[in-house]
Amino acid sequence: MASLLQPDRVLYLVRGEKKIRAPLSQLYFCRYCSELRSLECVSHEVDSHYCPSCLENMPSAEAKLKKNRCANCFDCPCCMHTLSTRATNIPAPLPDDPTKTAMKKAYYLACGFCRWTSRDVGMADKSVASGGWQEPENPHTQRINKLIEYYQQLAQREKLERDRKKLARRRPFMPQAFSQHTIHVVEKYGLGTRLQRQRPGAPVSALYGLSLKEGEEQKEVSIEPAQALDEVEPLPEDCYTRPINLPEVTTLRQRLLQPDFQPAGASQLHPKHKHLLMKRSLRCRKCEHNLSKPEFNPTSIKFKIQLVAVSYIPEVRIMSIPNLRHMKESQVLLTLTNPVESITHVSLFTCEEGDPDDINSTAKVMVPAKELVLAGKDAAAEYDELAEPQDFQDDPDVVAFRKSNKIGFFIKVIPQQEEGDVTVAFKIRHDFRNLAAPIRPSEDGEMPSEVIWLVHHVELSLGPLIA
Amino acid sequence: HTHTHTHTHTHTCVPCECTVSLGPRTVVHPKARIIAEAGPIIIGEGNLIEEQALIINSYPENIMPDSEGVEPKTMTIGVNNVFEVGCVSQALKIGDNNVIESKADVGRNVILTSGCIIGACCQVNTCEVIPENTVIYGSGCMRRVQTERPQPQTLQLDFLMKILPNYHHLKKTVKGNSTPARS
Repeated sequence: MASLLQPDRVLYLVRGEKKIRAPLSQLYFCRYCSELRSLECVSHEVDSHYCPSCLENMPSAEAKLKKNRCANCFDCPCCMHTLSTRATNIPAPLPDDPTKTAMKKAYYLACGFCRWTSRDVGMADKSVASGGWQEPENPHTQRINKLIEYYQQLAQREKLERDRKKLARRRPFMPQAFSQHTIHVVEKYGLGTRLQRQRPGAPVSALYGLSLKEGEEQKEVSIEPAQALDEVEPLPEDCYTRPINLPEVTTLRQRLLQPDFQPAGASQLHPKHKHLLMKRSLRCRKCEHNLSKPEFNPTSIKFKIQLVAVSYIPEVRIMSIPNLRHMKESQVLLTLTNPVESITHVSLFTCEEGDPDDINSTAKVMVPAKELVLAGKDAAAEYDELAEPQDFQDDPDVVAFRKSNKIGFFIKVIPQQEEGDVTVAFKIRHDFRNLAAPIRPSEDGEMPSEVIWLVHHVELSLGPLIA
Repeated sequence: HTHTHTHTHTHTCVPCECTVSLGPRTVVHPKARIIAEAGPIIIGEGNLIEEQALIINSYPENIMPDSEGVEPKTMTIGVNNVFEVGCVSQALKIGDNNVIESKADVGRNVILTSGCIIGACCQVNTCEVIPENTVIYGSGCMRRVQTERPQPQTLQLDFLMKILPNYHHLKKTVKGNSTPARS
């Protein structure tokens, strides 16, 4: 279970824009480039926004307008759990005869975890179950709007300048939609294209959707710069003497989750609209093919396309590690699992002297010289008693055991350092039948599916030496 | 003591002569344990003690069970309290309308007033009187004070009183005989 519980024991090297070592279970495999891809070297795209509580879809323009929050669902301001609507009967005076009362349905919000209710902060009950909760007005709305307006103007000016430069440069061969340059523009104006590449440090303006219509009447917006005050409100006199009652004070987290109010007292906590989640698809940056595409429906957890590496690349796992001693040779039992249905031929190599990828290894490794043959994966094999085991004529010195699409084999390890964890690195080369390669006009004698050979750099962390 | 008690009765704990008494309309689920080790336990009306809950009047850590001259201390539990599945309560005084949620642990030196909620898996082992309507919740045992006390579980109690005798053997206590009703 090393791949699930100790994912960082076996790392595969991804040669993307930068080299990344990651467990195979967290990697993707682009069938079109026949290369491993990590989350760092694919583009992430927002497919749809949805609320994790009511599972309702929201178009991205609307999501932006609502600040990426659901209109109907709330989070508890106290413990951040989802709030539920609770119904009670309360006596209410009859409209035609105020002296008599009748039972009336009333709804309030309650948290099932910390038992916070909207009644705690004095919010009146509602007569309808769905919403209508009034929200406190942000005292700084006006200023914020003014600033947004101002920055829109700046963005517009910037864009004009850039357009002018672009005209001067004239690069008609650049495919516009994908050039880094245009993507930047898309991002900044938040035009809602599907091709938004998110980067840390993206301009905040993208959050607010600084969209300006072309040719809109330009009027000069000026803002007053923020004033630094010399005198601030004095602290209340009993600030240092009054004992603090902890349940009445909000925690830092509670405060920061409401940045517009930052309430100091628990009695000012108001329910917050629930944050939307998004469905994300991944795209190979090199060939622009999708590597992962979820189904659109928020209730579905399935994928239309999911090219995860574990279903294409043979997986190395550590089965048992003997006591490792400095400069002593010991045998480590590894397994190799074939995820595809065809027979896969695997051969292992040690890294050559001065291999630029081989930077972490602290031990010498000897791998089986012979080619290892992995049987194809057959999901039904376990239940098929009549199936005869295929005979691979394994060398018992190399293959420790064989079980359906998995084999166990030994590598020899000689730790070279007296301290620290033992890490070994080797190359794994295997054949891969690329079923997804673009169908070329078939020529005579060409195989229906192309066989290519892939080489991966694998690093195993074998833990510390025995004392 | 794996019985459903729906009536007041007292039974004796043999080694130390300590007693457990349950108020009317108190439901004790099978597999709940109420152990009067260091003194009697008096449980009031309308309490709900769920499966695998442990209410124990135990000896303090520094006193050995067989040491002599220790005054037995009575554990009192008020009315309409709920002890949820798998909670442990050693508190010597518990008021009314408290909820001790699943797997919560309340120490011997804690005094629960009323309307308090000890959240799931929260451990309270301090030496203090927990103020009324306090809610302790979350992995950090955060505290807050709520305005309303939790509702008594009347409907649930009624339901259990009806349904539990259908599936469990009840040993009827004979009037005037205080033989233990425990197996």
